[in-house]
Amino acid sequence: MYGIYDRNRKLIAAFIAIVFVFVVGQLTVSNFLNLNQVMITVKLASFIALFSLCQMIVMAAGGAGLDLSVGYTATMTAIFTATVMNGKNENLWLAVVLALGIGIAVGLANGLLSTYLKLPSLVVTLAMSQILQGIINVYTAGALITGKPSPVLQILAAKSTGAFPNIIFLLISVAFVVMIVLYRTKWGAMLFGVGENETAAYLSGINTKRVRTIAFVLSGTVASFIGLLLLGNMGVAFKDMGSDYVLPSIAAAVVGGVSLQGGDGNYIGVILGAILLQALLNLLVALGWGDAGKWLGFGIVLFVLLIAYVSDRRKR
Amino acid sequence: MEPKRNRTKTLRWSGLVGLATRPEYSSAIILIVMVTVAAILQKNFFRGPSLVLTIDAFGPLILLTMGQAVVMVTGLLDLSAGAALSLYTCILTYVMKTGQPETGVYALLITFVVAAVVGIINGIGAGYLRISPVVVTFATSFIWLGISLFLRPTPGGQSVNWFNAFYDFRNVDGMPPLLQSVSSFLPPVLILVLVGCLFWYALSRTRTGRHLRAVGGNEESAYRSGINTARVQITAYVANSLFVFLAALFFVGQNQSGDARFGSPFTLQTIAAAVVGGIALTGGRGSVYFAIVGALIINLVNKIIFFANIPYAYGTLVAGAIVIIAIGGSQLYATYGNRALARGRVQR
Repeated sequence: MYGIYDRNRKLIAAFIAIVFVFVVGQLTVSNFLNLNQVMITVKLASFIALFSLCQMIVMAAGGAGLDLSVGYTATMTAIFTATVMNGKNENLWLAVVLALGIGIAVGLANGLLSTYLKLPSLVVTLAMSQILQGIINVYTAGALITGKPSPVLQILAAKSTGAFPNIIFLLISVAFVVMIVLYRTKWGAMLFGVGENETAAYLSGINTKRVRTIAFVLSGTVASFIGLLLLGNMGVAFKDMGSDYVLPSIAAAVVGGVSLQGGDGNYIGVILGAILLQALLNLLVALGWGDAGKWLGFGIVLFVLLIAYVSDRRKR
Repeated sequence: MEPKRNRTKTLRWSGLVGLATRPEYSSAIILIVMVTVAAILQKNFFRGPSLVLTIDAFGPLILLTMGQAVVMVTGLLDLSAGAALSLYTCILTYVMKTGQPETGVYALLITFVVAAVVGIINGIGAGYLRISPVVVTFATSFIWLGISLFLRPTPGGQSVNWFNAFYDFRNVDGMPPLLQSVSSFLPPVLILVLVGCLFWYALSRTRTGRHLRAVGGNEESAYRSGINTARVQITAYVANSLFVFLAALFFVGQNQSGDARFGSPFTLQTIAAAVVGGIALTGGRGSVYFAIVGALIINLVNKIIFFANIPYAYGTLVAGAIVIIAIGGSQLYATYGNRALARGRVQR
């Protein structure tokens, strides 16, 4: 019974909203809708969208999962790998191994604590981000943050090919892989199955705890690799470089149609959600209403968006 | 007669065992251990003046955590509590004018109404519009932040003198000296906490109050048994707003100013504190009074880190680790307690 419109209702709504924001921007602020401006928006949104991937995987696994530790995981990776790479391409593999190690370790700790000990992931990942922040503080109290990203990373994260920032191509390939893994593999079906109905998944022989733990490990690993990209984009590592992305990443995932109840999620929608929120923020800044207008507008639009297509009204 | 007496005895004993198998019990043990450690580290911990200072520092988080606990027992969550706290301080200091005592009354009334509206908006979003409570309060937190920044772009503002009564009676001009001296052993924030406790006691004795826990335990069956779940959820958010309002009164009394951004760090602390106090994020379980224990533990962590001369850099590391240990400990405790019950070693 579902037509193509019904299946992609959320995607179409997000896309129309993005176009609407840009049109309003063009009408009210001069020079809002030129290619450069759009590309800057998309580039900033790309980092949010990558962080949202972490949230989407954890949210899709159900159990009201959220990962608040992604920001400091990325920051920690950036700080440690900057020293390891020291601006040389031949040290990149070492940085990748280190990033993988940090990501898996953090994700495994989050996953084991929240699935096997049944602790709420909101509090576990919050405490984890405090612990990571503490490790970073201890490290930076004893040593200066030194080193630079390898040139390959800088090309990947900061440079552009023509008008298009390279990070967009990376995001598109990530999206491609994610869509295949989630929708065309057994593991993807298991992930959504556990999120949709844990009992049913358990009774059909799925090790639900393991699937959820793997979701957290994936989230940590992705966050850790984003740390490499952030480092490549900024050129230097600093103490709070990742923490500003955490809340936007959750907002983008939710606006992109991922349900906090689990069992749902379309990464294309999440990317559109990230672009929408970033475009909206740019517009509100460009309008020049100051901080008050910026956050008030952001909050109201977010609220209205949620009412429009996230709320699942009880059929009464 | 004999069997009956036996049964009462078992019942009384089982009440104690029942308490000992609840997660709150291990939180209470952690609290006692931490108070002991704090008292050893800070020699004058139990002396009057330093105890008053401690209570002043701990009071606000206790109030905020109790509010969060009411919401969590109902199966909801409030991520906008910190932003709402900032908003109330901004409104209070926006309305009040130094030297015009009557403006304080207006400020109180206006902020009280705003607090109710804040609760109602959150409640409508979660209750009637069926948006996930985490998400709806996340969105409204930006709205509160925006309004706060609109009223008070930079920290500051004015306050009337009698607002000092919410912080320290001795700073209030024209108060009888006898009453002023009360503040040296009974800090006003403790009175605010008592007001909060009384409010919750009164609410939990009403029909709606009992419905809070029913909705938190199982929303679907609560709805099917004829409870207006959306209205109950609105009640929970409004109750939380009133606790946040009490905390805002304390902060304006203490600082005599408003700040649009200072409240946000409290939000996640209140959730962590409530969980440490044994309140389940899934709703329906936990005691709002025990939220006080959770808030005390979270506060004591910072105090102990300070007095144990742990280097500042280690502060957040230790704080995060203690939160995990505290909630992990109570969870393990409850699990093993329940397993022991199930095996029949301990009889309830």
